Amino acid sequence: MSNVVLQIENLNKTYMLGKRPVQALSNLSMHVNQGEFIAIMGPSGSGKTTLLNVIGCIDKPTDGQVLLDGIDVAKMPENQLYKIRRDKMGFVFQTFNLLPYLNARENVELPMEGKIKSKSERKKRAKELLAMVGLSGREEHRPQRLSAGEQQRVAIARALANNPAFILADEPTGNLDSENKQEIIKLLAKLNLTQGTTIIMVTHDSQAANHTERILLLKDGKIIKEKEGLHLAKKNNKCPNCGANIKSTDDICPICKKPINAIEEPFSS
Amino acid sequence: MGIVSRAIRNISRRKIRALLVIIALGFSMAIMISIPAGVIANQQAATTLATNLGNTITETGQTINQTLLQIDCSLSSDFAGFGFGPQNFTFVPGQGDRNGFSSGGSSGGSWIAGLDPSQFGGGTVSGRFGGGAFGGGQANPMNESLYTDISQIAGVAAVEPVLQASEGSNVTTSFMGRTFTRMVPDYTIEGIPLISGLIDNYPIVPTNITSGRTLQAGDSGVVVLSENNSAYFNAGVGDTISILDNTFKVVGIHGSSGVSDTIVLYMNLSDAQRITNNEGYITSLRVFATSSDVVSQVATDIQSLHPELTVTTGQERLNQLQSLQSAYDTALANAQASIAQTEVTAFEEIIVVITATSLIVLFVMLYTVRERTKEIGTLKAIGFSNATVMGQFILEGILLSLIAGVVGIAIGVVAAPTISGLILPSVNLFSSSSTPFARALNMPTVAASVNLELIALAFGAALLLGALGSLYPAWRAAKIRPAEAMKYE
Repeated sequence: MSNVVLQIENLNKTYMLGKRPVQALSNLSMHVNQGEFIAIMGPSGSGKTTLLNVIGCIDKPTDGQVLLDGIDVAKMPENQLYKIRRDKMGFVFQTFNLLPYLNARENVELPMEGKIKSKSERKKRAKELLAMVGLSGREEHRPQRLSAGEQQRVAIARALANNPAFILADEPTGNLDSENKQEIIKLLAKLNLTQGTTIIMVTHDSQAANHTERILLLKDGKIIKEKEGLHLAKKNNKCPNCGANIKSTDDICPICKKPINAIEEPFSS
Repeated sequence: MGIVSRAIRNISRRKIRALLVIIALGFSMAIMISIPAGVIANQQAATTLATNLGNTITETGQTINQTLLQIDCSLSSDFAGFGFGPQNFTFVPGQGDRNGFSSGGSSGGSWIAGLDPSQFGGGTVSGRFGGGAFGGGQANPMNESLYTDISQIAGVAAVEPVLQASEGSNVTTSFMGRTFTRMVPDYTIEGIPLISGLIDNYPIVPTNITSGRTLQAGDSGVVVLSENNSAYFNAGVGDTISILDNTFKVVGIHGSSGVSDTIVLYMNLSDAQRITNNEGYITSLRVFATSSDVVSQVATDIQSLHPELTVTTGQERLNQLQSLQSAYDTALANAQASIAQTEVTAFEEIIVVITATSLIVLFVMLYTVRERTKEIGTLKAIGFSNATVMGQFILEGILLSLIAGVVGIAIGVVAAPTISGLILPSVNLFSSSSTPFARALNMPTVAASVNLELIALAFGAALLLGALGSLYPAWRAAKIRPAEAMKYE
């Protein structure tokens, strides 16, 4: 796996909680390759959201480097950072964060405002994206008329608006029921396979994490464990259980008949 | 979906709040346009009044010069009780086209507090000089036989008996807890002797005839109307009118002397005595001396013969004119000071209103920013620049103020006179003291009206205040750190 698109070196982030300093990230180093689907897990307060925010350029590290395509964004001023967020990052939040007074299409158009001048072009692209996430015909619905799962799809379509290099998802399934959870994870996996978008997902949900290709476990602001997920098997077209050849669309191995997305705690030890 | 339509949707999201803010701001705007409108109106009213007073003084002076030989005699009317009480004042804060003057009230004019009203009272002055501008009217009738007595005094060339009576309706007003009844005359009848020797040699009949003819010796059953009478009776030369159930033919129209609303109509003395049931009675005598040298001696003789009479010579009238002039000067100075004070107050009030308006916008926008912290964080996370976020909120503030501006102008156009009347000090022409009369005699009100310039100004102010008031909240919004905002619920 070559082609590193994100390289993080010795990242530190200290918050002041009142007068008490809290080390959210402690000398953290990692890298992400082009087209990877990564899950970041860890207990509450382990620094996963902080890490995601720093990668997404909406939070600044205390020190360390964040190299996006070789450019350090850790010290970049705000008047340049917003362009990186707009052009390279697509955020998906646990609470969807759709603007309630805009309909689905208008929400998806929001990030395009600074990039695409033509209104009709924005509208066309928003419709395409909504179709891609399976919401054709729901374009003019406001968020309150959409189900939680549908709202998260709109949010994913919005994240894809400017064809970003990264999708950064912070607990994207946290507010969804199990059925919708599956749907959203499948959607993200599909996007990763078909669009080649690099996805970094923070999650508590081991089932969701299992569907990625690499799982990082964070504790006290450090990566303490790393594990392969099932998504890698699909990508490599190999059954994780018997090593037989499979198709990326298969859910059950045609040879050993074991489910490829079997529920298994990634870090049970 | 542009920034403008988003701003409009955001405003309409909280309808009740937006409505309250718009009403509050609207009233501020209304006050802002009403105050200058009120100041302008005050200035106009003062100018009008000053012009009227000035014209009156000039014309009075001219008339006095023509009648230096004339001595006026009348019975002292009920001036003794002047002060408080059921007195009538004849100078009424203006209404409509009367420009602040009301003519010929019943018992003598007291149009300037602090001046002896008897100086201006008396039918003669009112009849001859200024046509009732200074009051006058129903002086006490006296017996016609006085005529004979006075004619025999040495130095008297001629005596002109005059009967003056006003017809109108009583109007009761309440002021400072007192009730005042004053007669608002519709017209004043002046009966003059139409005797050939008299009217040929002395200024007795009206001379400023604008149509028809003036009265002639031996005329009876005819009248000369003033222009205002003509309108009142809706009659012109040749028409027949009814006065106190008697029919008169209009032979001429005389122009206004003194102020514009002269309402004196002239007729033969005997006609006047008959129709007013005053046969054998007159209200004043105009005595003409043989030469200016003897005027004061004649006046003294008349006074010693009939101490009950108020005797006024031309010279005294000149003195009165000087008093009038100085009263005018005082009034003008007071008006100027008063207007200057009004301007200062207006300025202060506008500052207060501007501050209040900006603060309303400021707090509402601050609240909005707080309420929408998460939304702002989201917008920034998905790539909105600080400038765009700031612009969004400033635009919302401006839009809110502009809508309020429209509301404010609507209120202002309708209620500018009321609003400016409520919050501006009234301009006091005559005295800074607060005697009831001085206050009652305040200048005429010219209704404050809102012009296009003021409307443009209000719109500009709305725009500016909206921008100013939302500047800080917008800056706060721009400074929100997205990572922090995400945690905010």
